[in-house]
Amino acid sequence: MSKQLSVGDTFTHVRECDKYRPIYYAAASGDFNPIHIDPDAGKAAGLGGPILQGLCTLSWAVEGVVNHVKDATRIAKVKVRFSRPVMIDDTVTYVGKVTAIENGKAVFEISAKNQKGDDVLKGAVVEVRV
Amino acid sequence: MGIDKKHIGNKYGPTTYVVGAEKLREFAYAVAGGVPSMGFTGTGAPEGLLPQLHQGTEIVGMPSFCNVFAIAPFGQAVTDPKLGINLLMLVHGEQEYEFFEPIRPGDTITSTGEITDIFEKQAKDFVTVVTESKNQHGKLVVRGRWLAVIRQ
Repeated sequence: MSKQLSVGDTFTHVRECDKYRPIYYAAASGDFNPIHIDPDAGKAAGLGGPILQGLCTLSWAVEGVVNHVKDATRIAKVKVRFSRPVMIDDTVTYVGKVTAIENGKAVFEISAKNQKGDDVLKGAVVEVRV
Repeated sequence: MGIDKKHIGNKYGPTTYVVGAEKLREFAYAVAGGVPSMGFTGTGAPEGLLPQLHQGTEIVGMPSFCNVFAIAPFGQAVTDPKLGINLLMLVHGEQEYEFFEPIRPGDTITSTGEITDIFEKQAKDFVTVVTESKNQHGKLVVRGRWLAVIRQ
């Protein structure tokens, strides 16, 4: 059953970047850029190791909203800035809140922080058709 | 290094992608914390995957499954030898998607892209690519706005 939304609704969604997550995501998405799957390439690029594909970090934000509204087809828009790479063993906590309902859409503003409290996304917004 | 602004307006694609049900499942499962090729239940739903992606016998894709096909023209743009981008120095800066039609198994999706901006700021190069992906009915599935950041 698709969920009715109100301003102030919140959700929390937690995802861990386990050791193989960038490889699993590469297999599922086709994004095999070496900086995601090859520790040597990640280090050579000055990133300190392999980093998770940003689009997986984005997908987790969308997933959190889909889980909350219980209807994947209602997602109208997502917008994010990748402010910090997600590294192996990072845990990302997404907290979403409906800040407005306008023009037939509910606007979720989403914070996404790693276990140190650093933002991995900034300005993250997901809009849902109401 | 500075990427020549004359490449604004460069067009890429069309690329085509045929959506498979198993690929939709694999993607949703990889995002949901599973191993892409393992763990599907008797009903076809991966552990932890939303029943909402399985509406009866019908499957719809995670909206962000578009990552899989919409990236193609963006990939062509940033690997275009004329731009001379060192991929090891490239990071994904921003991403925006507008979702229209759902993604369904059997869809043939055609994606095109265009470089809409090139600029330099704080010793980094920025390239914006806008992609559009349409299904076999000619309906827009997703419009993407991709911002690549190239460290110099």
